[in-house]
Amino acid sequence: MIAVETLASRAGSFALDDITFTLPQGAWGIVLGAAGSGKTTLLETIAGIRAATAGRVALRGVDVTAHAPEMRRVGMVYQHGYLFPHLSVDENIAYGTDGHSAREVARRFGADALTGRSVTSLSGGERQIVALARALAPSPDILLLDEPFAALDPRRRVRVRAELRRLQREQGMTVLHVTHDFVEAGTLGDLAMVLDGGRLTQVDTPEAIFRKPASASVADFIGAENVYSGIIRRDASNDDIAALTFAGEGLTLIGVGDHPGGAGHAVVRGEDVILARQHQDQTSARNAVEGRIVEVAPDGVLARVTVAVGTSTLVAIVTQESATTLGLAAGVSVVASIKATAVHLC
Amino acid sequence: MSGAVLLLAVLVLPVGALVVRGGGDGLRQLVGDRELQSALALTAFTATTATLVAILLGTPLAYLLARDRMPAGSLVGALVELPLLIPHPVAGIALLLAFGRASPGGAALARIGLGIVGSPLGIGLAMLFVAAPLYVSAARESIARVDRRYEDVARTLGDSPWRAVRRVTLPMAGRGLFAAGIVMWARAVSEFGAIVILTYNPKVASVLSYDRFTAFGLDAALPVAAVLVLLAIIPLLVLRALRTSADILERVS
Repeated sequence: MIAVETLASRAGSFALDDITFTLPQGAWGIVLGAAGSGKTTLLETIAGIRAATAGRVALRGVDVTAHAPEMRRVGMVYQHGYLFPHLSVDENIAYGTDGHSAREVARRFGADALTGRSVTSLSGGERQIVALARALAPSPDILLLDEPFAALDPRRRVRVRAELRRLQREQGMTVLHVTHDFVEAGTLGDLAMVLDGGRLTQVDTPEAIFRKPASASVADFIGAENVYSGIIRRDASNDDIAALTFAGEGLTLIGVGDHPGGAGHAVVRGEDVILARQHQDQTSARNAVEGRIVEVAPDGVLARVTVAVGTSTLVAIVTQESATTLGLAAGVSVVASIKATAVHLC
Repeated sequence: MSGAVLLLAVLVLPVGALVVRGGGDGLRQLVGDRELQSALALTAFTATTATLVAILLGTPLAYLLARDRMPAGSLVGALVELPLLIPHPVAGIALLLAFGRASPGGAALARIGLGIVGSPLGIGLAMLFVAAPLYVSAARESIARVDRRYEDVARTLGDSPWRAVRRVTLPMAGRGLFAAGIVMWARAVSEFGAIVILTYNPKVASVLSYDRFTAFGLDAALPVAAVLVLLAIIPLLVLRALRTSADILERVS
């Protein structure tokens, strides 16, 4: 288990501040955030490499805030591997352990094929595999990963990820994993957190973060196509979840949620926007706005359709096949429908 | 271009002339001149001892300075480099003041037979004073070039701070530390000004060349001076070889 409470730390002029989350034993946590948001600083503070300036870090239920890194028994893998260049591949993997467990881990991750080689002769992907094997060889029950798969080719990435997932489940390992890869976050993560400017802006399941970002900055970071600023009005309901009306940037949208009302943002993912050439009489979607297409940009089997709506634009993601069938092209008038539950107000 | 050739001529001509005129005699004297042999042996012994002391005591200091772990690090760094800026006879006078028989420390040392005036100890101390800053400075740079994250990784793999330095940082900085030691040794071998204030006898090679010059003239000093120049070529060649192998390693990696 990793429990972090109001943690603060510094890296030069950058400050990590007021970080609180709990990652249960055996869970896989994902840390998301733009470059420079403090992801590596967070991992280093948990590992004890960087001192906490406030707050506490508890591992396995024990407060380790004042403990040295070697007392925390945490495995750490950096994006760049940091393999010891004066040691061979075998010596690197065995660095923190006896030879036997090192050989077993090397075999599981395919690093045994690299034994005997100098680390300076390895490719970027091979280096990351050796760095992962080195961190896993002492059998840590907590593993901190800083973009460990970034340099792997796609096929090897899938294999290594699957093997690490198997090992994590077998050993009940708790993993905290920094990644930019949303697919990785979605497939591996039990819990995800978003860091922005040294602060946690959202902690939730990866699904909830992608579907319902808590703030405009989170929405922007995870690539939600439509983010609008305006005023949110809450209806008279006393329920926690209430109907909400958003008005801003020339758009009025109906949503549901727990927003208290006032200034806020409406977030709509492009894939939640349904386009039609005419108004649909019978539909459960609470929002239907008319507009004119300004651009249809192909993106593989999908198409990104930008629609001018009032003074704003709305982006819809549809399949190429739908775009062709509907005859979507610049200048064509369309009706965009959005369910109230797909309008996230934050 | 012509300026560069001029400077090169100023740098190379005196040394070249010395070797051409005195080199042959110097090498021949090496076989039969007992005073020259013992001066060279004393020079090598004291310079090597001073270098080993600097490595032993200066490496931890260089590490602390490189990793910004020394309180008032920039002040300490400046103080360490101060002897490089002091005229060397002045350095000798300062050492005499601090460790001579007139000082409390020097008197205590003299009582147990460790006087610094007229002894190999004084020669070693003078060499340490003028040359150790070169070692600390170069060692600091070598250690600073090793990304501290290597140490951090070693700590997460169970190493104590000292063990991580011993197993990771020092081997990675090893080539640079060795080069720093060579530079210091070469500087110590060539020292004259500070040594001659503390210890004229027994004579190191630089003092012997000066002694022969003042007592017997240029012709008598030339062979000894030429041998010193030839001796200086050895560390130069070692440094060149280190640099070349480092370049090859860098290209391979």
